[in-house]
Amino acid sequence: MNPEPYLQLDRVIHEKGRLAIMSMLAASPELSFTELRDALAMTDGNLTTHIKALQQEGYLAVAKSYQNNRPLTTCSLTAAGRKAFAGYISLLEQIVRQNKPR
Amino acid sequence: MDNNWAVENLSTIRTLMERSALYRRALAPIMLFAGIVGVIAAAVGLHWHVDSAQAFTLLWLVTALLTVAGAFFITRKQALKDNEPFWSPPTRRVALALCPPLTAGLMLGVFFGLGSLARFIDFTVLLPFLWAFLYGCALHAAGFFMPRGVRLFGWVYIVSASIALGYVLLVQPNFEFDGHWLMGLFFGGLHLSYGSYLYLTEKKNPGV
Repeated sequence: MNPEPYLQLDRVIHEKGRLAIMSMLAASPELSFTELRDALAMTDGNLTTHIKALQQEGYLAVAKSYQNNRPLTTCSLTAAGRKAFAGYISLLEQIVRQNKPR
Repeated sequence: MDNNWAVENLSTIRTLMERSALYRRALAPIMLFAGIVGVIAAAVGLHWHVDSAQAFTLLWLVTALLTVAGAFFITRKQALKDNEPFWSPPTRRVALALCPPLTAGLMLGVFFGLGSLARFIDFTVLLPFLWAFLYGCALHAAGFFMPRGVRLFGWVYIVSASIALGYVLLVQPNFEFDGHWLMGLFFGGLHLSYGSYLYLTEKKNPGV
């Protein structure tokens, strides 16, 4: 088996929590911090840590605003994030294909 | 090397992406629609004195059917607008979670409201409470795949039906009321209140 695709997998995205965040955001223009937290059943601290890691990598943009006089934090994927996510998916598909019994 | 993890990862990604789409479905129009239908049904029941258990049950079962059909239509319209599949696995999960309590409510209506016992006992005072309890359970179950507010809304039904039932049975046993008032309050008023709240607070979809 060719281990190449596995070695190429983006380690930042490959972590379970971060992969879940990227997946949710890949299907939405943006999601609020609360929506992500509730959908993924994460704690505030856990989600913040993952968001920071993705932000540092340039995959995720965070915007702070106000809605009905309450602070609203929204997250969205950057162009680099979308590209990295698409690359991650195609590597996964490659791994599945090359291990398929013929 | 085993590649099951890769298959599982791809499946998880797909589920989460579809779930994300569910999160973007606007609930306000559905809740407002359900509320308006509930209020109209209560008004019809009160105005035309739909008092017999059979007529009462039929009116509210038809109302429930109309509401479910309307909710499906609105959700489908939103999915088509967003170029997303309507009958996706998360939508199926929500429908499956709603099914058992709603089926139990339907069966209670059929057996208690339309069955032979209805000739001897007036179930129109009991059915609104039972339906509110079961609807609350249905919302709570479906809420595991939807925004947290839906689960809380389920609790609102269970708590308000408990308070109303406790008041009628324990505090004021002689309190007389019309089942249509209760149904209008539970299925009209509560939906309208939650729908209005969502309408004012739901985030508008950017770029969609």
